[in-house]
Amino acid sequence: MTSSGNAPGGFSFDNVIRNSMLQQKGYAPPTARKTGTTIAGVVFSGGVVLGADTRATSGPTVFEKNCQKIHYIADSIMCCGAGTAADTDATTQLISSQLALHSLATRRAPRVATALNMLKQMLFRYQGHISAALVLGGVDFHGPHLYTVYPHGSTDRLPYVTMGSGSLAAMAVFESKYKEDMTADEAKQLVYEGISAGIFNDLGSGGNVDLCIITKEGKELIRGYAKENERKYRRPAGYIFPHGATPVIAGSEQFKGPEKGFSVVAEVAPAQDTMDVSA
Amino acid sequence: MASIGTGYDLSSTTFSPDGRVFQVEYAAKAVENSGTCVGLRCTDGVVLAVEKAVISKMLVQGTLRRSHIVARHATLTVCGLISDGRVIVDHARAEAEQYKDFYGRPIPGHVLADRIAHFVHVYTLHWHVRPFGCAVLLGVADVDGPQLYLIEPSGLSYRYYACAFGKAKAAARTELEKLKLNGSDGKALISCDEGVKELAKILVKVHDESKDKDTELEMITVTDGKDGGAKLVPRKVVEEAHAAAKAFLEADDMED
Amino acid sequence: MDPYGQEWMNAEHSMGTSIMAVAFDGGVVMGADSRTTTGAYIANRVSDKITPMTDKIYCCRSGSAADTQIISDYVRYYLSMHDIELGEDPDVDTAAKLFRELCYHNKGQLMAGIIVAGWDKHKGGQVFTIPLGGALVQQPFAIGGSGSSYIYGYCDSNFKEGMTKEECMEFVKNALSLAMARDGSSGGVVRLVVIDKDGSERKFFPGNKLPEFWMG
Repeated sequence: MTSSGNAPGGFSFDNVIRNSMLQQKGYAPPTARKTGTTIAGVVFSGGVVLGADTRATSGPTVFEKNCQKIHYIADSIMCCGAGTAADTDATTQLISSQLALHSLATRRAPRVATALNMLKQMLFRYQGHISAALVLGGVDFHGPHLYTVYPHGSTDRLPYVTMGSGSLAAMAVFESKYKEDMTADEAKQLVYEGISAGIFNDLGSGGNVDLCIITKEGKELIRGYAKENERKYRRPAGYIFPHGATPVIAGSEQFKGPEKGFSVVAEVAPAQDTMDVSA
Repeated sequence: MASIGTGYDLSSTTFSPDGRVFQVEYAAKAVENSGTCVGLRCTDGVVLAVEKAVISKMLVQGTLRRSHIVARHATLTVCGLISDGRVIVDHARAEAEQYKDFYGRPIPGHVLADRIAHFVHVYTLHWHVRPFGCAVLLGVADVDGPQLYLIEPSGLSYRYYACAFGKAKAAARTELEKLKLNGSDGKALISCDEGVKELAKILVKVHDESKDKDTELEMITVTDGKDGGAKLVPRKVVEEAHAAAKAFLEADDMED
Repeated sequence: MDPYGQEWMNAEHSMGTSIMAVAFDGGVVMGADSRTTTGAYIANRVSDKITPMTDKIYCCRSGSAADTQIISDYVRYYLSMHDIELGEDPDVDTAAKLFRELCYHNKGQLMAGIIVAGWDKHKGGQVFTIPLGGALVQQPFAIGGSGSSYIYGYCDSNFKEGMTKEECMEFVKNALSLAMARDGSSGGVVRLVVIDKDGSERKFFPGNKLPEFWMG
């Protein structure tokens, strides 16, 4: 039997070979929801600032305009996720729970390096099939830490990082404006500018800017720190349409589906004439 | 023991009320009944020697071996149940081979001794197995120099300059203590060649004529250096040493 | 196919690399560039590809970042267990053997070219290479990574038996600078690690402080 029958949890790759064969023969599987994303992080004196946009896409469609991409790992460790939304969610939740148990067992506050090792070992085990590209940041016993984790399980430790399809735009900002030993406000401003650059210059990114500031003292998650794509004007009166405003196809009450060969379609008078726009 | 109560000696998983594991102590008795085993750390290696009673005139010499080669740099003699000893030898060989395969260098003496001790100890912990009815002497010659270890059925391991086990262990230890083994710097003074002769003398001297009439000696050495390695001491050399030892002691007796 | 140019999603995080190590009497000098790429994007311009295994054994990593990081983690774990059992510092050849073991037995799934070097009390400074298939070769000096193809000639003509520590450092710095200048996947800074009986020392040369050769 395959592992899916009795496995207690986790991922199953039973169908990978079958699916790639089907794809080769022209039956592409439905695509998973990938978050074209801009995520970033910066270390400042005494803490880290993480940032993310809030757009989730499904193909060319914006599926969700205000999703949260800064995931909780522990009280002073957070993780931004790019890639397949389901994978970043599942991965960060799993590590968060394992880390909580580890923390209870050892009676010590969780460390960023522990979360990093758990993440990289899990992602490596799945050989890149879990599409999770992460920015992991937090403060622990040893001070502030910031890492990137790639889907294949490689990691980097850097003072400022970006990830996702908007990473190039954000990195351009960071490379030109990053300074050592910034204040929390300077770091917030820098991360905001980086994510903003992603939102405006990358098709896959958009929506609002979320920020998370983690210091020794605590953590502050700011949803909608900046609303770059906020709707500027909304018609105060709203829209009310009277009955009969929608054009009706003649004889639709008898319509039983298209007849073979041809069908006759007649249009009623233009809708504009009857639409009430004054109210 | 009777005052403590009965039934506490049936399993190694049951402690007696005063905290002893009788099964393990009984296993040590099996070692005491064994033919005497002696081991000596020398300048250039380690010599291990055992006395074996010849149980039948029709037995082919050299069978019922109690000394074994574990690796190029390690030898082992069994003191107690011979067949239990073989299980330990098999495991020791596997450990040595696996270590070399994994780390690319010969297993160090103390690591091998520790791993054998660990293996032996496990047999004192479970109800469905019995402890080993033998102790083993382990001779090793590697980059750290010659080393002699003893592993008991309890899973304890010791490192010795010289040691004796089995029937005449007390007498043999007294004899070993009479030898000048080490210089002031702790280095050995006796070579393996001399060691073979000295151990033969000791085994002959502590031999109990009233119990075993006909005995045979078995010796194994492990030496360092280019031509070194673990080797059974050739029958001829052992027999010569045996005969010389007998002659020496007879002469000694005459003087007395 | 990929409307958002998410090349980073599929491309493995890899290290088109220039790495090298040279043994001198009493120790080794190891060196590496600092470029890590995903496809055409430089994911990390200041990477540290010289990774400690013990106090006196390091490795230079080339190939897939994920694979070489995980292999290094395993070897570091095995060596620390070995250290405890042995009661002394592990030997360089033991470390190299462990790398070889992992690289050979998983060769179908790994992309890793590794140079292991360091100092031990038995054999002094030593350099080992483990190329892609999982062979294990000891050499007086070793070069590796995509950038190494450009400097085989330079290294063969400039390596001398019995160089001092300083000469070795100069040799590594020059060779890596040449490799980084010609190899598009190598670049950034030069990192050096010098190991001898007393431990290790790091040296750092930023991209604008590297020796220049013919620039056209």
